[in-house]
Amino acid sequence: MSDVTANIAIGAETKEAEPAQGGRANPFLLVPITLFFGLLGLAVLRSPSLMTSNGIGSAIIVATPLVLATYALMASVIAGRGTVDLSIGPLIGFVNVTLIQLHGAGILENPFAVFGYAIAVGALYQFLFALVVIYIRVQPIIVSLSGYLALSGINLVILPRPGGLAPQWMSEWGLGTTIFSPVLLILVLATIGWLLFTQTAFFTHLRLMGSDERAAYTSGVPIYLVRIGAHLISGCFAGLAAITFTALISSGDPSQGTTYTLIAVTALVLGGASLAGGRGGAFGSFLGAVNLYLITFVLATFNFGAVQSFVTSLAYGTILVASLLLTLLIPFIQRHIRNFSPVLYFVSLSVIALGVILHATNDYQNRAPAETPTPQAFVRLEPIPPQNLYVAPLEVPAVGEEEKALRSFAAPFVLSSILLVVIAVFVRVAVSQSDRKTIAPAVVVVISALVLLGAYMMRQANVETPPARPALQEAPV
Amino acid sequence: MTAAFETQTPKLGLPATIIGLAAGIALTAIGVIFGFVQGLSVQLIILSAIATLAAFTWGWRFVLGQFISEGPPVAEGEISEARKTWLQFRPAIYGLIVILLAFLALSLTIEGFFNVWNVVSLLILLTIIVLTRTLGRQFQENRSAFIGIMVLSGLFSIGAMNIEGFASAINIKSMLLFASFLGIASVGQTLVALLGGLDLSIPFIIGAANVGLLYLIGLGVPPWLAVILVLAIGALLGVINGFLSYRLQGQALIVTLGTGFAISGGVQILTSIGSAYSGNVFGTVPPWLSNLAAMNGSTFGLPFPPVIAIWGALAMILILGMRYTLYGRYLYALGVNRTSAKRVMISELAYWVMMYAISGFFAAMTGSLLLGWSGGGFIGVGDQYLFLTLAAVVVGGTSLLGGQGGYGFTVIGVLVLQVLSSFLIGIGLDFEWQQFIFGLLILPMVALYARSPHIRTQI
Repeated sequence: MSDVTANIAIGAETKEAEPAQGGRANPFLLVPITLFFGLLGLAVLRSPSLMTSNGIGSAIIVATPLVLATYALMASVIAGRGTVDLSIGPLIGFVNVTLIQLHGAGILENPFAVFGYAIAVGALYQFLFALVVIYIRVQPIIVSLSGYLALSGINLVILPRPGGLAPQWMSEWGLGTTIFSPVLLILVLATIGWLLFTQTAFFTHLRLMGSDERAAYTSGVPIYLVRIGAHLISGCFAGLAAITFTALISSGDPSQGTTYTLIAVTALVLGGASLAGGRGGAFGSFLGAVNLYLITFVLATFNFGAVQSFVTSLAYGTILVASLLLTLLIPFIQRHIRNFSPVLYFVSLSVIALGVILHATNDYQNRAPAETPTPQAFVRLEPIPPQNLYVAPLEVPAVGEEEKALRSFAAPFVLSSILLVVIAVFVRVAVSQSDRKTIAPAVVVVISALVLLGAYMMRQANVETPPARPALQEAPV
Repeated sequence: MTAAFETQTPKLGLPATIIGLAAGIALTAIGVIFGFVQGLSVQLIILSAIATLAAFTWGWRFVLGQFISEGPPVAEGEISEARKTWLQFRPAIYGLIVILLAFLALSLTIEGFFNVWNVVSLLILLTIIVLTRTLGRQFQENRSAFIGIMVLSGLFSIGAMNIEGFASAINIKSMLLFASFLGIASVGQTLVALLGGLDLSIPFIIGAANVGLLYLIGLGVPPWLAVILVLAIGALLGVINGFLSYRLQGQALIVTLGTGFAISGGVQILTSIGSAYSGNVFGTVPPWLSNLAAMNGSTFGLPFPPVIAIWGALAMILILGMRYTLYGRYLYALGVNRTSAKRVMISELAYWVMMYAISGFFAAMTGSLLLGWSGGGFIGVGDQYLFLTLAAVVVGGTSLLGGQGGYGFTVIGVLVLQVLSSFLIGIGLDFEWQQFIFGLLILPMVALYARSPHIRTQI
């Protein structure tokens, strides 16, 4: 509890909301950021096709429901009392199966009706949840356990086995052939909505209540209203998560409850939120969810044959525990680095990661496209169904002898260029920080320039070497 | 409601009496109408009507009388009589209305639902609520245990009346058998919860032990040695869990989940090395192990599987041990207040790790016993225990925040869950409906005793 109280004053939002708070920044983002770039680099090196328009598109499609589910958990977890909503997975499943059944009955056709329905159901459920917590005064975890069992039961009643068809306009979203899909729009809007929400006094009340409910009550915060509000927001996110989940699988699936609950809680904790309440942010939750996606992605690129799913499970568990243990190092790091800035850290790591991405996507493919036709080099990544998240092996580019030679030849160049860029950025930041408190403008400019450059390079690479054979192997599940 | 008020005001106010009578008469009238609609014999209808009215009015008076004596002395004047009544008896009235409405709805929708047995069941239900609201106040310490036993006996009698063969020896034996599996699996969860932690690795260790034991036996290790090995490894995994989660107590949920994934994956990798069938293990279970846990097992010639006796002995040892030994008292001391426990030189680390070790040990034991029961190894055998152990602990009345409860409560919780699930199976519900009703019932059961005080009383 002591770390929670110590960090009440610390901004839960660091990057977008209030960049560069200097020593007051949230050190809990250290682990997710590190993990994110580590995994991203590894993923790109293992499978450069991730950094194509298709790859990113399908990554967004698969990761978005998870991110939104994590947001939904985040809103209620911040409210305190240990409100870990175990029922979030079955709730998403409930909206999913009812949506499919209602659509099958010809009732829900209009996109607006679908969105309204999903959000209303999610909000209504969370509203009831909040009422039970407030007036019956049972521990929230028991309420959520109860909801978990009840909803996963009723889901199977509504739709006994996976099936059904999503609305036509929605099933096209799940293809993941382009980055700029409606799913991305939903994700961005939801994130912006949360960030706007963090600017309100209501959010301050919420954090106060989460870290010390008695203090909030005595200082006149309307704790009932705040709790209901937090749950309503959580319900809206859950509805959006259900819509993107439906778009992902293009059908109904009643039995995703356990998986989504466990993954979302894990993502939340990995993202640096405190299950005790009062701490948590969109940036951390986003990183946590994306990290989990990347873990499964990276693991899927290795080929372990028959024991694939076991190795995946082993590595998944180990990474979880290890990254949680890393958070124990934060006090030591804080002692030595007073002014840890997540933004600066993010920028420096993103520069390195960008270098790795450019190396993986451009270096050897551009130079020797003719000699190495590499039949499996470009294999479009299908949206991975969530049930295969742990088990589906992906196609990996075979590394030939020439490529290996090329890699060892190119590596020094790439590394030195990356080093130069990093040094340049560091110098720039150091100079600007010496007389100014904020480095936000510089950071934004640098990041956007780098992102634009990266996107441009990727487009080029795409155009030059079109997918040689977009054949897909069926995942042996 | 927390402070005990000495003043006795047994007289019931006029509005309360009128409301009670009206509700009772309405209930009776509903009963009579349905009785006639169903074409029951007149004697039965009259009998049940009288019983309904009598039980209801008695219960009403008794409950409300208790409430008045417990209620705080209200400020004179200002509030009207009706409003006062409403404010005082609100929860009880809500509960009664909800139950009556549900009964009415069920009677209207389901053909043949309204019969004498169901009316009696309803009365039993009402009696349980009345008793728990009245007598339950006498048991400050063990209120949840008292309520649990009431619910258990109520459920059991309702089941025995409504379902053919519910109270037969076979069914009781099978209920006890499955209850012992769940009970042994919940030992660790209870102990860990007493310290304020959670252990989600239990189902994975159960599955891993299940597969691992059969694998060892298949390798040619003597079965007794294999069992000891598996139990030792389970305890070792528990120790690892304990050390890893000690500094991350707030995140114990995720840490144990992570180790659970790792354990499950690791054991499967081990067992599939050199095997053509990845993940599937084959072997023969020794007869003594099947006898230990199979339905037709016998204990020293008595016709019930030994695992029930083992569970009973285990429960005895744990309940007595936690009450009377130093270890047990220290455990509670740590759960209630870490700081003060440390001041009297109780090592938090030692107890935390020890409880996780016990948890791992009993999870491995459940896995081994389940192997004897089923005769074949399956990694997913423990999956249902992920939330079921948690539910048993919670329904029994052990607080997840630590320091309150005990294994005796969990035994009651396990039995309640088991009787409830076999009742739901008995009335012919599918698995999904069972789970639905299960979920809906946990909340009110817990709400009967585990309500936290209002925030304004905590300041």
